[in-house]
Parts: sequence; structure tokens; C-alpha cells
Amino acid sequence: MSLFWLIVLGLAMGLVFGAALEKSRVMEPGVLVGQFQFRNFTMLKMFLAATITGLVALAVLNGLFGVALHPKAFAVGPVLIGGLILGVGIALAGACPGTALAQAGAGYRDAWAIIAGGVAGAIFYGYAKAPIDAALGWGDFGKITFADLLPLPFWALALIFAALLAAFLFVLERLAPWQEDLAQAETMLGDPACSDGGARPAPAE
Amino acid sequence: MLSLTDRNWSPYAAGVVIGLLQIPAFLLVDTALGASSSFVTAGGFVASLVDPAAAQIDYFAKYMSSGKYFWQSALVIGIALGAFLSATMSGSRRASFSPAWTRMTGVSSLWGRMAMGFAGGFVLLLGARIAGGCTSGHGISGMAQLAVGSTVAVVAMFAGGILTAAMFKKV
Repeated sequence: MSLFWLIVLGLAMGLVFGAALEKSRVMEPGVLVGQFQFRNFTMLKMFLAATITGLVALAVLNGLFGVALHPKAFAVGPVLIGGLILGVGIALAGACPGTALAQAGAGYRDAWAIIAGGVAGAIFYGYAKAPIDAALGWGDFGKITFADLLPLPFWALALIFAALLAAFLFVLERLAPWQEDLAQAETMLGDPACSDGGARPAPAE
Repeated sequence: MLSLTDRNWSPYAAGVVIGLLQIPAFLLVDTALGASSSFVTAGGFVASLVDPAAAQIDYFAKYMSSGKYFWQSALVIGIALGAFLSATMSGSRRASFSPAWTRMTGVSSLWGRMAMGFAGGFVLLLGARIAGGCTSGHGISGMAQLAVGSTVAVVAMFAGGILTAAMFKKV
């Protein structure tokens, strides 16, 4: 595909992605951080619904049509330490790399600082890659998947895993209905402080 | 039917919509959904403005030369446009910063929150680049491919987030 059409396709797919992040309120800092505080499960539900859909889609694409998968490598050091640092960043930023853009689009001005910090972080890593890799680059097992470890084809294991995650979501939904979490997110939007251009009362201590 | 003028979609509908995006990603771009690589593409071009040698660094060069990464950069710009359209067409445009921040951390000025956001964004991308992916690439895409490394990355991500958020006030 030519570069022009790749960019058109990327923009079109991003439009859908961004709308889904905004409509579900997953891009709300209070919702994202709320997942880490176990008081709002919107993020986990959206995340697992996307994972289940991807598992089924890839089971069909790979199992029936032989479309190649692109799993990332399992390097213990980078994945563990990088994942931990990434998690700290998600909580401080109140965003993931993708949702930061959605926040900016929806109107949050602090999101531009997150994006600028993110570009600075990527530049820092680009220059410091050699020493960071030397310190953390241990335990590389290559691009392994659970289908490589178990005696089942990818499509079968993907469908089983999708069913297990769906069962988990079913139980989670019984315990914490999504409408309640959404109502919680909406009260934060309805807060008069949301549209005051930055001035807000001092926090109650 | 889902519409841009809806005020909300359920997290399940939103998740299915995002998961379906894997189909064009794999069929048309021969890659999985991701977001954090685009920050390296942007970073490479920004660094080139002050350091002409930056584009010669292999890591930046890789992300500045392949169509796949321009596709992903367009994707994240599209995310901003999609959220803009969605919020505008449903009457839920945000301003300044989320009041949840004031309740969770006590930060009460936009500049204070921006300083925290810049630091958060730096840590976010440093971690994502060390891990080789973010919530999209390792999370949604990696787990959908049953990748062992991505599953470990997601567990570590949640651990880091939970430990940090424990220091915030619950709202």
C-alpha cells in the first residue's frame, strides 16, 4: 500500500479508535486511575472486550486464512521493568500513549503536556538505548506465544482464552455493572470545575 | 447502532469496536494495533531539528523510514480527531484538566497539573519503549496474539499503576 493510503487508513482507523475511547469514558483520568484503585472497572472491561474481539478475529484470520501474527518478544528484564515503569507513568499521566491523544482531542489542555513529555521520553530512550539495554536486556526468550508452549494450534487456544475472559467479564459485570461506573465518570464531567478554564476551589482537606 | 452523537457507548461496545480494528491492521498494514512507536517517530523528527545526527541513530532511523510507523502516527492523530468529533457532536467537550485530579492529588492549577502530566508522559514513554510496547501494542494486541511477553508486561503495568495510584486519594 502506498504511503498516502497508509496515512488515510491510519487516520480513518484512528477516528474510530478515538471515538470509542471518548464515548466509553476510558480516556477520563478519573476512570483510568480509578481502575488502579479498584473503584471503576470501565477500563478493564473495555480492555478485555477489545482483547476478546482481537482473539476471535485473529483465530479466524490466522486459523482459516493463514494471516501472519506479529507477537512481541518475551525479554524478561525489559518487559518486567519497562512494564512497571509504564504503569507508574499511566497513573501519573492518567493516560496511556493512545488515550493522551484522545484527551487532547476531547479538550483537556494538560494532555498536551503529557504528549510533550512522551515525545521527550521517547527521545531520551533513543539516545540512552545502549546503556539501558545493557542494564536491563536479560532473559530473552524470543517471540514466544502460549500456543508455542502448549500442544494446541493458535486458533484453538485463542478461542479457549477468549471464552475464559468472557466468563470472567460476565462475573465482573454481575458484581460491578458498567452503568454505575459510567454514572461515576459522568458526575466528574458534570462538575462545574470541568469547564472553568482552570480555576477551581482549593481541595477540601 | 452506535453513533457519533451518542453521549456514551458501553465499555463492551467500545472494546469490540477497537478489537475489530485489528482486522484492517493485520490485513492491510501487516501489523498489530499500537500507539507508542509513533512517539519515537515524532521524537526522531523533533530531535533532528536540534541534532542533525539524530536521524543517523539506528533506533530513530527505523521509526522515521517505514510506512508502518507513518500509518501508526496517522492513527494516533486520528485518535485525537475522533475524540474531538465524538466530544463535540455529543456536547461533552472538556476544558482545562479533569477535576478528578484535584480530588485525587490536590493539584488545583493547570500549570501544576501540566508539570505532573509532563513527568507522567516522560515516564510513560520511557517505560513503553523499554518494554517494547504500551497498553495497545502489548495489551490489546499482544494478549490477542497470546504473546507470553505481552501478558507479563500487562501484569507489570497493572502492578506499577496500582502501586502508584495507591498514593492518590480515592474519589
